[in-house]
Amino acid sequence: MRRKRAISGWLVLLIALHALVIFAGFFAPYDPTEQDRNNPYLPPMRLHFLDPQGHLHARPFAYSLRLREGSFDQYEENTALTIPLKFFVLGARYHLLGLVPGRWHLWGAEEQRIYLLGTDSYGRDLLSRFLYGGQVSLFAGLSGAGTTLLLGLCVGAMAGYYGGWRDDLLMRLAELFLALPWLYLLLALRAFLPLAVSPRQAFFLIVAILGAVGWARPARLVRGVVLSAKEQDFVRAARGFGATDGYLLRRHILPEASSVVLTQAAILVPQFVLAEMTLSFLGLGVPEPVPSWGNLLSALQQYSVLVSYWWMYLPALIMLPFFLGYLGLGSELQQPQEPYKIGKLTRSLE
Amino acid sequence: MRAARANCPSRPIVFSLLLALVALVPEVISAAPQKNSNEEWLVLPGDIGRPGGRLVVSLRAEPKTLNPLIATDISSREVIGTMQADLVHIDRATQLTEPALAKSWKISPDGLQYTLVLRRGLKFSDGQPLDAEDVLFTFRLYLEEKVHAPQRDLLILDDKPISLRKVDSQTIVFQLPKTYSVAERLFDGLSILPKHLLEKPYEEGKIAQIGTLTTPANQWAGLGPFRLKEYVAGQRLVLERNPYYWKTDAKGNRLPYLDELVFLFVPSADAQVLRFQSGETDIISRLGAENFSVLSRQPGDYTMVDAGPGLEYNFLFFNLSDPTEKTPSEVPQKQKWFREEKFRQAVSAAIDREAIVRLVYQGRGAPLWGLVTPGNRRWRDEKRPHPPRSLEKARELLKEAGFSRGAASNGDSGLLDSSGKPVEFSLITSSSSAERTKMATLIQDDLKQLGMRVQVVPLEHRSLLDRVTQTKQYDACVLGAVSPDADPNADISVWLSSGGLHLWNPSQAHPATPWEAEIDRLMKEQLYARTFGQRKKLYDRAQEILWEYQPMIFLVSPDILSGARKAVGNFRPAVLEPYVLWNVEQLYFKDDVVKATR
Amino acid sequence: MRYLLRRLWHAVFLLIGVSVLAFAFTVLAPGNYFDEMRLNPQIAPETITALRAQYELDRPLPVRYAHWIASLLHGDMGFSFAYNSPVAPLLLVRARNTLLLTVTAMFLAWGIALPLGIWSAERFGHLPDRLLSWATAALLVTPDLALALGLLVIAVKSGRFPTGGMVSLDFERLSLFGKARDLLLHMGLPVVALVLSLLPLLVRHVRAAMAEVLNAPFLLAAEGHGIPRRVRLYRYALPAAANPLISLFGFSVGTLLSGSLLIEVVMSWPGLGPFLLEAILARDLYVVIGGVVLSTLFLVGGNFLADLLLYWADPRIRTETIA
Repeated sequence: MRRKRAISGWLVLLIALHALVIFAGFFAPYDPTEQDRNNPYLPPMRLHFLDPQGHLHARPFAYSLRLREGSFDQYEENTALTIPLKFFVLGARYHLLGLVPGRWHLWGAEEQRIYLLGTDSYGRDLLSRFLYGGQVSLFAGLSGAGTTLLLGLCVGAMAGYYGGWRDDLLMRLAELFLALPWLYLLLALRAFLPLAVSPRQAFFLIVAILGAVGWARPARLVRGVVLSAKEQDFVRAARGFGATDGYLLRRHILPEASSVVLTQAAILVPQFVLAEMTLSFLGLGVPEPVPSWGNLLSALQQYSVLVSYWWMYLPALIMLPFFLGYLGLGSELQQPQEPYKIGKLTRSLE
Repeated sequence: MRAARANCPSRPIVFSLLLALVALVPEVISAAPQKNSNEEWLVLPGDIGRPGGRLVVSLRAEPKTLNPLIATDISSREVIGTMQADLVHIDRATQLTEPALAKSWKISPDGLQYTLVLRRGLKFSDGQPLDAEDVLFTFRLYLEEKVHAPQRDLLILDDKPISLRKVDSQTIVFQLPKTYSVAERLFDGLSILPKHLLEKPYEEGKIAQIGTLTTPANQWAGLGPFRLKEYVAGQRLVLERNPYYWKTDAKGNRLPYLDELVFLFVPSADAQVLRFQSGETDIISRLGAENFSVLSRQPGDYTMVDAGPGLEYNFLFFNLSDPTEKTPSEVPQKQKWFREEKFRQAVSAAIDREAIVRLVYQGRGAPLWGLVTPGNRRWRDEKRPHPPRSLEKARELLKEAGFSRGAASNGDSGLLDSSGKPVEFSLITSSSSAERTKMATLIQDDLKQLGMRVQVVPLEHRSLLDRVTQTKQYDACVLGAVSPDADPNADISVWLSSGGLHLWNPSQAHPATPWEAEIDRLMKEQLYARTFGQRKKLYDRAQEILWEYQPMIFLVSPDILSGARKAVGNFRPAVLEPYVLWNVEQLYFKDDVVKATR
Repeated sequence: MRYLLRRLWHAVFLLIGVSVLAFAFTVLAPGNYFDEMRLNPQIAPETITALRAQYELDRPLPVRYAHWIASLLHGDMGFSFAYNSPVAPLLLVRARNTLLLTVTAMFLAWGIALPLGIWSAERFGHLPDRLLSWATAALLVTPDLALALGLLVIAVKSGRFPTGGMVSLDFERLSLFGKARDLLLHMGLPVVALVLSLLPLLVRHVRAAMAEVLNAPFLLAAEGHGIPRRVRLYRYALPAAANPLISLFGFSVGTLLSGSLLIEVVMSWPGLGPFLLEAILARDLYVVIGGVVLSTLFLVGGNFLADLLLYWADPRIRTETIA
């Protein structure tokens, strides 16, 4: 019972987080590609309730920021100019789910712009970029991990279950895939693709590439588990009762691999979000100015950003709940079943 | 800690060697060189330094060779620059030629004969004397086709090689096939090589196998201020003072001051900054603006120098080359726009160069309206107009060229050409240059305001080069280049329509347009013109044409940024390559105690 | 023995396959080493063509492959365009440095991951386990480069660690003890960076594998028999959970040469990282192919090791497969 509640709790969290990303147009205050060239590397504005006179305001507000004298990236609060936070404001046009046009944003500010997560080097709103960026990255990461694991599961199960020459062949193939200089193949691939790759095409490209490159590892892990699972007593028993290969794999052997697969999934999704950085370098990622989490993370690889613009790390920080959501859900699903193995044995004898 | 190291028992041999060296130095220096009429040293102005010390510099990549005949990469050239010397040298500070190994040169009245006289008493770093034979041999190597020296093409004018002959052991006559303006600038960077070490490998056809990094130190020599001491693969290259170097300071002290010059291989720009900050390296150069401001903001025992804009120019160009069988079918369609001068002028007018300077270079750069950068003091054209960004003017130009704003067939509103096609193209840029990717992103946004849909496509660098120079599969490209010299002849292959760096339409058999033909004529004429005034006039006119037709839309020239420990004396970064080590023989440590024992 | 021979044969075939495909890929990838010279205004295109011919870049692929195999048999592994010298000595000296780093990091990472994962599995779903999950997730989304840079910044601020490189300039002059100390100091940061980048994956898998067996009846029985906790965990539970971990260990061995490339670049470690990265971008083909073949050797070795361990650890598989 407790477990069911926990699972639905994680599900609700995940759905809420994904809604934020899917309906980014509504939740993000600005167009993620809009440049505010006078405000590059603007630190996050702090929300205040108290003004300098000590009056309490019901509506939170921020102070506008201005450059310090003679500096290119050092800002200070201008307490003379307040920016009240408004809800349900009209702003940049967007299309929800690529279809429903809209102009209403959950929150924003009038006249002045408000940046709660700060801006990047072009003066683009980091919060908006984060929300929009998830649309490509999160789903590319998820579908990439899904493809990878599905491929890995199939190959690993085949190799482990049938053994013999099929095992040899598949495992050597896996090694071949692990050993190849993918970078060069991708460069070659890039040369054959049309120059302009739209974000949508980039999405499918990323999923396909990640799936193709990544299956070999999970396949080996799954194979190892299957190798020993198929020799378990209950599997032998079931086979003795005339169970088919498909039934055995489905009912008895692959469930044994579930913990490995779930763990791999939890690792692959963030890894794939990062992998997009490499793909971007090869011209296969999501192109500027379209935001993606990979783009946001790659900005962190600069020393100057590390020491000067701490808020560029905020997107990485708020990515964590997404990944932890999956992790939590996976953990709950993976919780060992009641009396271990005996249950499976009895089930298989039914 | 330092004292403890000095007491380490395992070092006595090295230590005593070092002592011997230190003991030797004052002796060499105290010998007033000019007294001996057999030795004609070059006397350099500048602060009088103190001898000794070890300067540590970081390199982005390992040098690949010490042999000037095969070196093409920046790291190798930077190292070779400190180990070799040339006959005539371009002073990086004044950008003018000055005598080097040749104490003087004479030009015949017809401009075809250059007579160079070598200094007396010159010796290679292994103590062997230099004479005219070495010079003849060196140029034979450069010109030999089988050697494939990168210098060869410089020495061939109008398909005929420069020839030379020896007059006496100190005098060489260079015979040009055709008059060539400022031929003496050609000598810069042409290292004079030791015949006694290279002759045998050359005859055995193994010239490329000598002067590699693993060559023993006693089998390699040069005429530069430093010579090879030790190479550790992947880690460092250690050079030591060349005791036979031919320059002195104003007081007659033999240069260089430093005992050792160490190149550390630090493959990432950020790591270079960190190593400089931690005191592990003494000089940092080729800094990015963001790292420069990080270093300037955090106080340390170093000084940061912004030498102003260098000779790097960043530019945007459209693919104007003739379609080949590999060209995708949509390119010729787009080329109809690209070939329209007004279209290019409109793009140029719409680009916010000031924003690029501010957002990409944090203000450490100069907006650019032509190939000659503000750092090129002699050749910059003061009369060039510097029009500010103007979207109105851009729109007007587009209108005149028949473009209009409207809704395309798919319903999006944007810029349409005269046949109603929406104007959209992709802009390729090198993903290894964060700066250029940023420029492209800003330009994309600038042009969006004209209704053009531009897609930025960052490509890996070689893939980009392959597209631009080989397959021609691209629409437009943002690229950067650095002129090797301030003289216009250094960029001749950019200007000439037959040149390989005439990137928008390279290596044409015949000039494709009348204005390209006119530029060809002007540039060839200035090549053979004799006076600076004549050349300048011709060159200014060529720049004017380039501006008018905008085949290259110039964007920005970044500042040359570098830094050094406060203890380093004579540190004077220049805007010509190599930005900081050009006067390495004069660099010294103001307080030698600290460095010598570190 | 027959099994061993069979695996050896497979390895040879795999190496041939990898090298053929690596050759094919390098030809397909746009650009070549000499393209960079095209941007040098002082070098004529004819010179570049001549150079390409000299290095056989214009010859058909089978010819080049045959020449490469011949050179491999000579122990050269082809020729580096950039360094103008055979590839093998260039690679080997750097591979040694890389291995020094990665072998240390691998043993450290496993040494930490096993107890940490087991500790976390014991507390499955409780607060300490959750916190560890947060930490590993945070490590997973931090790019390796950012991690390494962060460590370097700490090194600069503290002044206690060198900010890169493998040894100090005065290394040769140090005593034996001083040399060891110097090397260890320089290894410190890169090893920490590597361990941190390996840990999340290892900890996660150890935790998951252990969590599955911890409730098994035989462990309850062991507890009932009064067997101490440590013995239960490490002698009874760990071998039962070892299966996926063994495969994972095989990967660890397999990536010894290739797993630290980026960290080496940032930390200026004189290993394969900076060398191969430069070669890849500069299209120094034979260096790249040499690197690929070398790391394939490790991969094959790692997987072979894992298979042997797997058979050793699980008698049931042994009877099934070797027979």
